[in-house]
Amino acid sequence: MNRGGRGADRAQDVPRPGPIPPLRVGRPIRTILDNGLDAMVVARPSVPRVELRLTVPAGAAIGKSAAASELLRAGILLGTKELNQEEVSESIQRLGGSLQVQQDHDRLHISASALAEAEEDLYRLVCAITTQPHFPAEELETERVKLIEGLRIARATPQFLAGEKLQQLIYGQHPYGRPEPAESAIRKTTRRQLRDLHQTTFLPSASQLTVVGDVQPGRTLARLRRAFGEWAGPHRHLTVPRVHRQRLQEVTFIDRPGSVQTVILIGASGPPVGHPDQIPLALASAILGGSFSSRLMANLREDKGYTYSPHTMSEGHLRDSLIGAALDVRTDVTAAAFVELTYELGRLATVEVEPDEVEESRNYLAGVRVIFLQTQAGLASSLAQVRGLGLDHRYLEGYAERLAAVTPTDLRRVAAEYLAPANLTTVMVGDADQAVALLSGVAPVSVRQARRAQPS
Amino acid sequence: MVLGSAAVAKRTSPSGPRLRRLRLENGLDVVLSSDRSSPTVAVGMYYRAGFRLEEEGRTGFAHLFEHLMFQGTTKVPKADFGQLITGAGGVLNGSTRHDYTNYFEILPASALEMACYIEADRMQNLDINEETLQNQIDVVKEEVRVNVLNRPYGGFSWLWLSQYAFSTYPNNHNFYGEFSDLEGATVADARAFYDTWYGPGNATLVLVGDFHDGQAIQLVEKYFGPVPARPDPPTPELAEPIPTARTEFERRDPLAPNPRVAIGYRTAPFGNQDHLPLSLAARVLADGRSSRLQRRLIREREVVLQVDGGPHFPIGDSFEFKGPALFTIEATPRPGVTTKEAVSAIDEELARVAEEGPSPDELLRAKRRELGAYHASTDSRLGRMRELGVLASVHDQPELADKLPDLYQEITVQQVQGAVARWLRPENSTVLHWQPDGEKASG
Repeated sequence: MNRGGRGADRAQDVPRPGPIPPLRVGRPIRTILDNGLDAMVVARPSVPRVELRLTVPAGAAIGKSAAASELLRAGILLGTKELNQEEVSESIQRLGGSLQVQQDHDRLHISASALAEAEEDLYRLVCAITTQPHFPAEELETERVKLIEGLRIARATPQFLAGEKLQQLIYGQHPYGRPEPAESAIRKTTRRQLRDLHQTTFLPSASQLTVVGDVQPGRTLARLRRAFGEWAGPHRHLTVPRVHRQRLQEVTFIDRPGSVQTVILIGASGPPVGHPDQIPLALASAILGGSFSSRLMANLREDKGYTYSPHTMSEGHLRDSLIGAALDVRTDVTAAAFVELTYELGRLATVEVEPDEVEESRNYLAGVRVIFLQTQAGLASSLAQVRGLGLDHRYLEGYAERLAAVTPTDLRRVAAEYLAPANLTTVMVGDADQAVALLSGVAPVSVRQARRAQPS
Repeated sequence: MVLGSAAVAKRTSPSGPRLRRLRLENGLDVVLSSDRSSPTVAVGMYYRAGFRLEEEGRTGFAHLFEHLMFQGTTKVPKADFGQLITGAGGVLNGSTRHDYTNYFEILPASALEMACYIEADRMQNLDINEETLQNQIDVVKEEVRVNVLNRPYGGFSWLWLSQYAFSTYPNNHNFYGEFSDLEGATVADARAFYDTWYGPGNATLVLVGDFHDGQAIQLVEKYFGPVPARPDPPTPELAEPIPTARTEFERRDPLAPNPRVAIGYRTAPFGNQDHLPLSLAARVLADGRSSRLQRRLIREREVVLQVDGGPHFPIGDSFEFKGPALFTIEATPRPGVTTKEAVSAIDEELARVAEEGPSPDELLRAKRRELGAYHASTDSRLGRMRELGVLASVHDQPELADKLPDLYQEITVQQVQGAVARWLRPENSTVLHWQPDGEKASG
């Protein structure tokens, strides 16, 4: 892989590219509306469209019940008293746009788009479904069945089982560790509970509205004020409890008889977005498994042929992030793959990375960000993401500069603190009869049965 | 509340970014779409070599060969290949489809010359050897395990439906590949495949992004001009008769908790009068909660939990194929409803559209969605590169990309109705019932 230095025997006539272009967000205009809603508009007239993101503090970890949070997300698309779910869908289609509602631990994200000429209609529609959801009883029943069936499929999927267990082990009783809702809870959640959850979490003063597209920012701000100005709610700060890092030494192996592969998931709770360690850790994570030429790819795939797509992961949270690595390997190399994975994690934590390998990953991260920010949709989503975590556009623009400041020593320090094998928790899902005997010689293993889906 | 009235009144026509097209003496087809709104470029290399031209006993070979194209050349060793692109701040990937395989990079504009070097280099100097071949056979088997064998509904429905719906080998073999065929692949096979299908005359290069046409043409001539021409590859024989009666099949999936069903209708080929109307029909039928099938079957009749579909669904669109293809509709019945009942309900709804046509508002919404999707795709270097790459390499008509929104505008209710009536008929279809293992057969 590293044949006497990266690129040592590379052809000399390969043309050299120039430096990575700067990250430019444009000229955002920002206003706090009277109701506390934080609105930002960026003109990006590349195509005659407009992208909207509304970020609301209604993440899965905010409410008391995972079932209620999931149903709230699904319920937003069911419309208002005046506009049923099909009329919502028809409206967005006439605007030539799209509408989605997604949820992470901390935030609920409404993503919508329209042709630029229809921007004002888009704002009115998004405001209506956001502030006046009706949760019609009959249609909510269908959403319950869809959620339950979706969970049954998820529980048949090994990556889902591994992810759920890893979060439970890392976050314990913290809401980030809460398992997906039980079918019984999805059935029992009432409309009243949904209305209460909506009322306490859909707060304009704790939400961010981001618009990017072919717009005139001043006029668009006035339109946003008209559309969203009447949204009322108390000024309240919603947050999630602090995370106490925890770690389990033994490998938790969930038995899934007949599996032809073992899912290996290794991770820990890491620094939140905006923490000084986050950028060096992102770079360490990229070197380990962030690209086609990362160490996990070079070793476990391109050298050993154990796996198709080994990669590192990093999921930013308000309080903390989930960091780690994931790979699916054929059953008979489970133990051997775990040895190589541990080797690569340990190497990063103990041996300083050569400057040219650091430079390559730095360029990669900065370049990918430039590519992502070039579309209206990518810019809108990036801004919404950082704004939802309490940062602003300057965080995006300063990304390359912060990457440039990371030294190999910083890299080794954060790798040792966050990614050293002794600081990580491992979950595997596979055929225990086939995989555990050899694995037990490498690490202590505790075998568990997969949680059975309840019969419907 | 009345929404969208202004939008309905005003029609937006795309102005159409400029396109440049040229053909080098060695046969390489080149499409340039300059767009200076941000400092990046997308480079797409399309080879007219897909699943359908694989030889018997070599199922999965086109995709396996795609992997070999990332294994370095006699000038750029395997380990350096990816590093050059990631180190320049770019991303790279490739995909194999029925009638083409593409390789692409998105990079800062200053790396355009390097990307041209890399694509020209792997067009002529690929390092095919035993070690990388065996390594990538292992990797592809892991890809099949993770995407098909170790998950519920693996490969549903695209990988399996075509195996039942078509009657000839090019169209009905396992496109991901039988493991025994993958294991049997040799270096000699790979060399022959490379020589036959990966010459400049069988390829289209698409450049999208921040460059002057003149500068791009100079780079293309410098790096691709010297690539030697190869003999024209044979034209694959893909045609087969269209079905005259519905056939039904069942597959059992021990990992699936619930049944699903897919109906594959033989669809209209490119250039047929019904081809574009069927794209709009897909939106009318299955795009969003207000679409005909989702509204009728999920909410009003409560027979399915999910229904979706369209031409070449779910791994392509109306333009991704040459030769016979399917318009697929997939559905998940509600608990207690059989797949057979779900199929009957879909048949009834399609019969209604065939008889009455879509409503004018349904058609209008489909057109608005097409227009929005066109602009969204144009905004993305990758999106634009893909539109142009498919239209140029498969149909030799990249300029169609910017004409489609207007062509869609002109389509009438009667045209959609006629297209549905002619193609989305039960007799023209194959049904695949996907059953959890251990349950009773459908119906």
